[in-house]
Amino acid sequence: MMATLPPSPFDRDRRNRRTMLTMAGVGLSMLALGFASVPLYRIFCEQTGFGGTTMRADANVQVSEAAGHTMSIRFDSNVQPGMPWQFYPEHRTDTVTVGRKDMAIFIAKNMSDKPVTGTASFNVTPTQAGAYFTKIQCFCFTEQTLQPGQEVRMPVLYFVDPKILDDADNKDTQQITLSYTFYPVEPGKKAS
Amino acid sequence: MIQVKSLVLAGLLAFAPAMAMNGPAFAQDNATAAAPAAATVAAPADSAANAAAPAADAAPAAKVAAPPRMKPTEGIGMPKPGEITLQEQFTSTGHSARWLHDVMLLPLITLISVLVLALMLYVMVRYRRSANPVPSKTSHNTFIEVIWTVVPVIILLVIAVPSIGLLADQYKPAPKDALTVKVTGYQWYWGYEYPDAGIPEYVSNMLTKEQAKAGGEPFQLAVDNRLILPAGRPVKLIITAADVIHSFAVPSLWVKMDAVPGRLNEKSFTIEKPGVYYGQCSELCGARHGFMPIAIEALPPEQFDQWVLSQGGSLKNGTAAPDAPMGPQQGSVLPAPPADAVGNNAL
Amino acid sequence: MTTITADQYGDHAHDHHDADHKPAFFQRWFMSTNHKDIGTLYLIFAIFAGVVGGAISGLMRVELAEPGIQYLQGWANIQHAMLGAEPASLDQAYHLWNALITAHGLIMVFFMVMPAIIGGFGNWFVPIMIGAPDMAFPRMNNISFWLLIPAFALLLGSAFVPGGTGYGAGTGWTVYAPLSTSGSAGPAVDMAILSLHIAGAGSILGAVNFITTILNMRAPGMTLHKMPLFVWSVLVTAFLLLLALPVLAAAITMLLTDRNFGTTFYDAAGGGDPELYQHLFWFFGHPEVYIMILPGFGIVSQIISTFSRKPVFGYLGMAYAMVAIGVVGFVVWAHHMFTTGMSVNVKMYFTAATMVIAVPTGIKIFSWIATIWGGSISFKTPMVWALGFIFLFTVGGVTGVVLANGGVDDVLHDTYYVVAHFHYVLSLGAVFGLFAGFYYWFPKMSGRMYNEFLGHLHFWVFFVGVNLLFFPMHFLGLSGMPRRYPDYPEAFAYWNKIASHGYEIMAVGVLIFFINIFWSLAAGKKAAGNPWGEGATTLEWTLSSPPPFHQFETLPVIDDAAHH
Repeated sequence: MMATLPPSPFDRDRRNRRTMLTMAGVGLSMLALGFASVPLYRIFCEQTGFGGTTMRADANVQVSEAAGHTMSIRFDSNVQPGMPWQFYPEHRTDTVTVGRKDMAIFIAKNMSDKPVTGTASFNVTPTQAGAYFTKIQCFCFTEQTLQPGQEVRMPVLYFVDPKILDDADNKDTQQITLSYTFYPVEPGKKAS
Repeated sequence: MIQVKSLVLAGLLAFAPAMAMNGPAFAQDNATAAAPAAATVAAPADSAANAAAPAADAAPAAKVAAPPRMKPTEGIGMPKPGEITLQEQFTSTGHSARWLHDVMLLPLITLISVLVLALMLYVMVRYRRSANPVPSKTSHNTFIEVIWTVVPVIILLVIAVPSIGLLADQYKPAPKDALTVKVTGYQWYWGYEYPDAGIPEYVSNMLTKEQAKAGGEPFQLAVDNRLILPAGRPVKLIITAADVIHSFAVPSLWVKMDAVPGRLNEKSFTIEKPGVYYGQCSELCGARHGFMPIAIEALPPEQFDQWVLSQGGSLKNGTAAPDAPMGPQQGSVLPAPPADAVGNNAL
Repeated sequence: MTTITADQYGDHAHDHHDADHKPAFFQRWFMSTNHKDIGTLYLIFAIFAGVVGGAISGLMRVELAEPGIQYLQGWANIQHAMLGAEPASLDQAYHLWNALITAHGLIMVFFMVMPAIIGGFGNWFVPIMIGAPDMAFPRMNNISFWLLIPAFALLLGSAFVPGGTGYGAGTGWTVYAPLSTSGSAGPAVDMAILSLHIAGAGSILGAVNFITTILNMRAPGMTLHKMPLFVWSVLVTAFLLLLALPVLAAAITMLLTDRNFGTTFYDAAGGGDPELYQHLFWFFGHPEVYIMILPGFGIVSQIISTFSRKPVFGYLGMAYAMVAIGVVGFVVWAHHMFTTGMSVNVKMYFTAATMVIAVPTGIKIFSWIATIWGGSISFKTPMVWALGFIFLFTVGGVTGVVLANGGVDDVLHDTYYVVAHFHYVLSLGAVFGLFAGFYYWFPKMSGRMYNEFLGHLHFWVFFVGVNLLFFPMHFLGLSGMPRRYPDYPEAFAYWNKIASHGYEIMAVGVLIFFINIFWSLAAGKKAAGNPWGEGATTLEWTLSSPPPFHQFETLPVIDDAAHH
């Protein structure tokens, strides 16, 4: 490549093609990465609690209670405008022992005269608490269908991971807010 | 599980004595000025009627009159004409952030810019062709290259220490007995709800030019129903949006937090002094993005409590009454859109 | 110094016609495979798009000159009348405002700066500077340019189709979901997105072409570490384009499917997340600002060296500072999202990473000054523009350090402070780089000298204008004026008025520029092969002005003696 023999035009065309194909490959990989970011981002959030994503655990998970350490939990509910549901927590706040499994009830009522299916998005604040807020059972894991006028009490079984007590970022966290937003499930929409 | 839902008591009333010490100062600032405004502009109590019915258990308190609408102080909580720096701050993070900007960053960047300018002027004069016809051939000097790499690194480290500290401060969550207010962004107005006091959501729309002028308020910052908060008590806003992304921003409180549909954000702060603090939506949200301002009225604590009662709210903090059943305050009961929001009056 | 000798493959390397034989008009300009002609096409296109984008910002400054809505309603009525629609409502007038800011941003980024600095100067001078006869893939080069035309047509056309509240895409150049999905019915946003797809595809092809050209087509002896810094800057830029643009393509493709095919990538209702779009957009968007500024760095390095008659100080440091800026530019994107509600650790990381960029940037600024130090400066027009670039880019850079602090950004985010910051680095940085390059290479490209007096006059008028236009925006931002507002409270009136006067002065500067071009093309003195004297050492100055239609049919050989 130095100042020895310059490449013949013939070699050069071959090398150019090779470089171009390599670079096209790089571009296509970035394109693929762009699309792959959808599942990757979700996995990243689920693993790290990024953006206040909550954790998920099995029903038989063993956690040790941190006796004497309590955490206030606030429940927040939203319904997308236009969805004919009432949706609200039975209690606005609750105080739990860190590490103890607890249950919260949300009440949903279909105010329309048609069956409506809904699905909920959720997160917790402060966001750094997401990695420690663990749900065992939640109505948000599945779609919910309510008949006209039907009211249901929907449980969330959760616990606050005792590891939160060792996390410097959460040393001032006294209250975790768990928020849900219900959306109608439109038949045409596919979950991504 | 039920026994877990024990006590944890309301620090709320405990704040009252602490506030009493600051009380006189508040009164001087605002009590006198507040009265005239009340006559011309509807008090929040009147126009909050479009919100859902208040929770039933708060009914006994409903006869309390709302405190008079506070008149803003010129230049406080709002931009000043011809201003060249940050607005005066009324929260502790505001003070430390403003310190970081005014005392560290601004002098530093000015110094760097002036240094670069001075060096350039020097070389331009010293090495102009008539003064220096034969150029040197120097193109390397390892020592000086190391210097101008290392010195910026040190400067950045010096900035980083207070900067990271400020961030940590800003993320300090509110104590669990902080007043929690839910803020919801809509196209194109804001909704405020006090879940613990049982005050259902009411909406806040921009005043027209005439209305703002009549109330002695700055047009495009003034709103009909302000977000009423107590001064001196910790406040936690939980922020979301119903349609597109908005951003809840109040420069004089050093608050800016996006309101994202399907997701909750929170922001905690304590307003140091009673007053009216204005802000504007800070994320492009459609046609009337520029016309959904925010106005916070920070009341002395007693007056805030009075306001809560006047709205049919209860003074018991949520954590104090965990077993009280909550009514449906959200969902199908949506705040009505503005009757004549910006309309043609903005012209 | 560079010596050029014929190499032994020379006989095979060229066609057997005259080096300056040009094809007929249509063939030459519409089916061009000549890098210089394509570069010229890019420059003409960029000037046209710059006039359109600049006129839009003129509309914005006129409306913002005073509080209240003065003209917007009238413009919206004209727009509606052109389309045979009802007179516009106030909301539709406000929507027009959003369409204007969107168009201004997209046009200036994708259709002015990028085509001019990469397509125009990159095409013209990268092959010449490395001693290559042309780009590696001349026909692909042609496609890259012609893709811009339909892209620009789609974007301009989007202003005349429904886009939600009114006509046109009113989403901002960032096209955030859900405003751009559920918040903007109608085909305008689809057209804007497709426009970005097409322009992006052209840029990616261009990037592959530049990388291949620079890696494979260098003349014998032109090692990577002897390449002029402008070539280095285009190489780094091409890699940034190649890595960043496909991510944008993926992100906006998902916007399109969310809008039209019922997917919910960015819709919380279906398990998506609107913040994901912001992450993807800024993963592209932050490198994008370096894509716009890095070639400007390269141009300024060439000019400073030429007119100081000194080799660039710290050549390797300069080259690798650009590589460092490019690399770090990929890991700082979320500083555009400080107010979205990220956790404290994430914000600390992005604060720290962003501030790191100041280090290589500082190296560049100080190395430019050191290049001048000890030099013998002649203040020709390109040099004056380059000096202006260094200072204004410094001012824009230091406000970047302020904004990098996540805690401070909480109040400055989405205010005019940000507008001031990015206009100082782009409108005063990249654009000063463009004008510097234009005057530097105008004699080479056209064969005519520009008018030195008009060039200086252009500089001073423009310099005063843009500073008056953008510096007060710092004040507006500090006192809290949000971006993307068609109207504002009385308190912001003072500095807005001054900014609008600044625009008027700047517009006069642009007028002088056009007078200079037309006068010079018609009556300028004939330019010598090297009008700049001994300081100009890169290969383009060894050719005639303008260069022959085909240059280096006999490959130059770069002497082993380092010329840096």
